[in-house]
Amino acid sequence: MENKGIIDNNKRKYQNSKMDDLNNCMQNEIHTVTRFETNYPPKLQNLLDPPAQLYWKGSLPKEERPSVAIVGARLCSNYGKNVAKEFAYALTKAGVQIISGMALGIDGAAHEGALEAGGKTYAVLGCGVDRCYPKDNVHLYRSIPQNGGIISEFSAGMPPLAANFPQRNRIISGLADIILVVEAKEKSGSLITVDFALEQGRTVYAVPGRVHDPLSEGCHRLIAQGAGIAYKPELILEELHIDTEKQQNKKRYKERNSKLGLATNLELVYSCLDLQPQNMETILGKVPFDLQELSGILLELQFLDLVEETTKNYYARRNIGFDNF
Amino acid sequence: MFTRVQAAALTGVQVASVWVEADVSDGLPTFSMVGYLSSEVREAQDRVRTALRNLGIAMPPKKITINLAPTDIRKEGARYDLPIAAAILAAGNYIPENSLKETMILGELGLDGQVRHITGVLPSVIHAKESGCRICIVPMDNLREASVVKEMLVVGVAHLEQMIEFFRSGEIPDRKEEISEKAEDEKLDFSDICGQEAVKRAAMIAVSGFHNLLLIGPPGSGKSMLARRIPTLLPELTEEECMEISKIYSVAGLLPEDSGLIHNRPFRAPHHTATPQALAGGGKIPKPGEITLAHKGILFLDELPEFSKRSLEILRQPLEEHKICISRSNATYEFPAHFLLTAAMNPCPCGFYPDMNRCACSATEVIHYRNRISQPLLDRMDVCVEAPAVSYLELKGQKNSSLSSKEIRNTVKRVQNIQRQRYSKLPISFNSELSSKYVETYCVLDRDAGKVMQKAFEKLQLSARGYHRLLKVARTIADMEEETLIRQRHIQEAICYRSLDKKYWK
Repeated sequence: MENKGIIDNNKRKYQNSKMDDLNNCMQNEIHTVTRFETNYPPKLQNLLDPPAQLYWKGSLPKEERPSVAIVGARLCSNYGKNVAKEFAYALTKAGVQIISGMALGIDGAAHEGALEAGGKTYAVLGCGVDRCYPKDNVHLYRSIPQNGGIISEFSAGMPPLAANFPQRNRIISGLADIILVVEAKEKSGSLITVDFALEQGRTVYAVPGRVHDPLSEGCHRLIAQGAGIAYKPELILEELHIDTEKQQNKKRYKERNSKLGLATNLELVYSCLDLQPQNMETILGKVPFDLQELSGILLELQFLDLVEETTKNYYARRNIGFDNF
Repeated sequence: MFTRVQAAALTGVQVASVWVEADVSDGLPTFSMVGYLSSEVREAQDRVRTALRNLGIAMPPKKITINLAPTDIRKEGARYDLPIAAAILAAGNYIPENSLKETMILGELGLDGQVRHITGVLPSVIHAKESGCRICIVPMDNLREASVVKEMLVVGVAHLEQMIEFFRSGEIPDRKEEISEKAEDEKLDFSDICGQEAVKRAAMIAVSGFHNLLLIGPPGSGKSMLARRIPTLLPELTEEECMEISKIYSVAGLLPEDSGLIHNRPFRAPHHTATPQALAGGGKIPKPGEITLAHKGILFLDELPEFSKRSLEILRQPLEEHKICISRSNATYEFPAHFLLTAAMNPCPCGFYPDMNRCACSATEVIHYRNRISQPLLDRMDVCVEAPAVSYLELKGQKNSSLSSKEIRNTVKRVQNIQRQRYSKLPISFNSELSSKYVETYCVLDRDAGKVMQKAFEKLQLSARGYHRLLKVARTIADMEEETLIRQRHIQEAICYRSLDKKYWK
């Protein structure tokens, strides 16, 4: 335990004495390993500053299976969320483990996509694994340990200090073979993960967006600097040498087109919607219905899981049709 | 010699009779005042003495005792100057003694005998009539509001001399002629608003069922503009309501000078720096606050999250009970507060969320901003709608709906009448006031509507309270179409306007 890594003195006060720490872990079903033990992830062993000790709930990523980290903005667009989910879903179906940070926005969507596909996903936290941060993602915090693991280098009880997060990003990139950035503003925390990834020799992919979209600026910059352009999940599978031909026979993500067999008025309203949320007022201008009819149709579409109300009175397509589709 | 005249004390917006008794008897020449008086009432002796002397009336060199009864009510303000003067004059035989019978006198005196304006004249005069007075003497400046009360003689006096003259000869002073050149109010009309069909419809539903309304939208989308026009949708004041509101404004000293009564629905828009006392009513003897001044009208809170949490939380009780009780050490004052709360807010600190191309806020900023409004307050906002930015086409009026305030007001009247008839046996008159006990009785769904409701309940994870609110709004929408049962389309529309759930705030 000489090598304390970069856990500095002022954070050490949150670390209990070794015995207390062990007791605490046993009580809360938290597993732990130091970097001198054999089951320490080899991928992390090779880092410049490997974490001295890891704590986790559930399990650690399997070394032999390919893993992809999906990161991006917390305050992302609805489109970005859908893309993150879609990529996570497709990759998971092909046997890839998804690693992310359980943050709001893109991170959370990536975990959700992986969980929906029934695969393994791993969340690396910037606080102790006994704490759920952010609180809004408590559904992920509960379900990830059964389908992967929640990992942290911080001992139980460590609060989510701002300084912890850049540091945990090196674990996210360290555990992954490929880093996929979905949406990032020009100055985004996700770009820190990318810096670590490049240092560690990992491949970086970025999802392109529209030129004027501030949420895609970071991604575009990465692409200009040589990152791969992730315009479909298959590209990443190829990079990982996963046979995409075989995958294509499988029933998986399918673009929803207008041949849904909906009633005409539902069809009409659905065709006016896209992944960018639109206000009811805007939709009202495009369809020949009055407000009462439109609200009825939108509700019907929500019941069919085709449309979601992203924020109050803003509606967007739910473009994640999976196996049941 | 002993005389007595009636005056009135204000306790909140209620009035209590006060008897001003004067006794002039032999003894050492003193002037003493008793009867649980505040210092400004005690000072009345100097004002009265000086005013009388300046009229050339010397106080008799006798023992003068003034008592203001009943002794358990605290007397405040300068409203007792004139009755004290009248009582002394009658006791000193300067005016006929029996002239003070069945008379109420109110007014503040100046040192030269001038009679000044006071607050709360209207409720006092109404009280005088109820307690059997025939004559009421008020300051000339208050004559307009006082003469609203019929079947009694209301005399306005501008000077102490005029009062003495009236008691001696019965001559009524001329009404002060006021040349009021008030600029015509800018006529507000609902048809001024471009586009925003969903918001307009929501406002119409809110007004019809007296549901509280929350408007969310980016800056410049017309939230405040719309809110200012909501009073034009409410039915005109009935005579009863007019009196009720005018009484409140009289106590607050806010009655317009050119007309004695308030004829328009109140619209109060306190600034977001308003303190809890400014909203609820405050002071040692509480004065009506903004929520009472908005009684039977609109209370508009612009930039809702900018209000201090304490100010917002005091709204919770009045929103349920339609009144506010303010307790002070000497008494508890009750003010009516049945208002339609209309609030407007931006979706985030910069105002553009969820337009990610323009919004410059971080996720936590958005959540923090929205968390400033507590869930219990949100729960009381029945109708909630998001106003988008207005498009150029709408601004140019190409898509302007031509529904004017008058047309909407007629619908609103009709819908409110339906509700009044339905609730004639209950102590309520609007759908929004239905308690959960009666919701099931009066908000009956037809079969299709029931199915939609069940689906929505599961899909949208409604709470029991959210469910009841939905039913009440759907009831109002059904009333607008004069349907007895709530149909599927009513429920669907109501779901569209349901209030914010915390889960949408992420």
